Amino acid sequence: MGKMKETFLNPLMKGNPITVLILGICSSLAVTVELKGAFVMALSVTMVTGLSSLVCSLIRNTIPNRVRIIIQLVVVSMMVILVDQLLKSFEATYPIDKALSVYIGLIITNCIVMGRIEAYALGNKPIPSLVDGLASGLGYGAILIIVAFVRELLGSGTIFGLRVIPEAFYNAGYVNNGLVILPPFALILLGCIIWVHRSIDKDLQEK
Amino acid sequence: MNTNNNVYTVIYTTIVVVLVAAILAFVSQKLGPMQAANQKAETISQILTAAQFEDFGSTNAEKIDFYKKNISEVVLVNADGQKVGELDCKDAKIYSVAELKAQNYNVKDEAKSGDLKIPMYRFSNGITVVPIYGAGLWGPIWGYIAVESDLTTVAGAYFDHESETPGLGGKIKDDPSFRAQFAGKKIDFSDDAPLSIIKGGVPAGKKNAVDAITGATMTSKGLSAAIVAWMNAFKPAFSAAAPSCACNCCNGECGQHEAEENNESNETEE
Repeated sequence: MGKMKETFLNPLMKGNPITVLILGICSSLAVTVELKGAFVMALSVTMVTGLSSLVCSLIRNTIPNRVRIIIQLVVVSMMVILVDQLLKSFEATYPIDKALSVYIGLIITNCIVMGRIEAYALGNKPIPSLVDGLASGLGYGAILIIVAFVRELLGSGTIFGLRVIPEAFYNAGYVNNGLVILPPFALILLGCIIWVHRSIDKDLQEK
Repeated sequence: MNTNNNVYTVIYTTIVVVLVAAILAFVSQKLGPMQAANQKAETISQILTAAQFEDFGSTNAEKIDFYKKNISEVVLVNADGQKVGELDCKDAKIYSVAELKAQNYNVKDEAKSGDLKIPMYRFSNGITVVPIYGAGLWGPIWGYIAVESDLTTVAGAYFDHESETPGLGGKIKDDPSFRAQFAGKKIDFSDDAPLSIIKGGVPAGKKNAVDAITGATMTSKGLSAAIVAWMNAFKPAFSAAAPSCACNCCNGECGQHEAEENNESNETEE
């Protein structure tokens, strides 16, 4: 059981896909303007990484080695299309799916998904692979939500679309920061998060 | 088992692909009606936005209710501008994007113009909304243009797209300042392009064009072509329905004609 716990915690901290492996940067810049979008994206990626790792691990001994990347891609794209179709079907998630537009479809090209299948699922049993996939998605999602929290708070003065910075502040001359809305700020913020992460975790520092 | 065998590889990939295709087809069939309901509510909210309505609610049911309350009729017109049918307002029937796509062939191809059957949404606030449909850079684009009761002044517009680049072509939908340009423009049917989008700035005094989007040349061109094609398709219907003066008096008899009409109506009243 201790091993399973480590499998789960590793992608969240020491092996975090964004801050340590530097994967999935593209979408973390694109969908972090608002928490709502970031939250749905995190959930979608978690589902895709978890389920594709599970399926690929289940069929790992039967996959012909020469076409393994193609088979992985087929499995991953099936999961992404399923998630997209589900998001489109519910009234609550339909507008979010529209707002995330191409980025849901682009989960297929998110390096985290293929990366975890290649590095973990093809060599491990289904249950640990599922845990690893889910944890990778959550590790990605956690960073996404931190970035989105800061960007929505400073850029729009809202959290999950609700106004949190009181009107009095605006009357006193406070203005939302326009730079925070733009993608470059997400990159700056990510850099800061990586910096903090590395200074806390001594193992990650290069000698 | 030797999984690197050629025959095995071919059979394996075939089975995987067929299986995945079957799963996706099944899911898409099951979820289809739910997605169609969401799409319909979205289309209705786009038509309402174009028609200058605000606060029409956020849930699907609220949007449809608001639409039913404010729509007065939906007329289907043919290429001669004649009414050939009607959509049921009580049922909130509208043309879906797929139906616009089907009609787009009739709009573009003169040989098929006999089959033309396009909707005009008339609202109780006097605004008429007409759809447009065409090709952007990556996929289809469509939208709704709202005109005032004189059928010449544009009240507003709303556009949507399937896969234009976010931040560039996607601005036809996401940039409110682009849409806002349409308000107050005058549709001019004496021009080959009754209403269009012009790159490099609209000349001063030109009332029937708006500025294109920087960095989205192909999308702007496609949208302009779509608006021109559909506006021309609506031309006979607009001319037939417009107040008598707007269309058929060009040589200064306009005021006179109107005065005579007024006299006549006065007389009958007496």
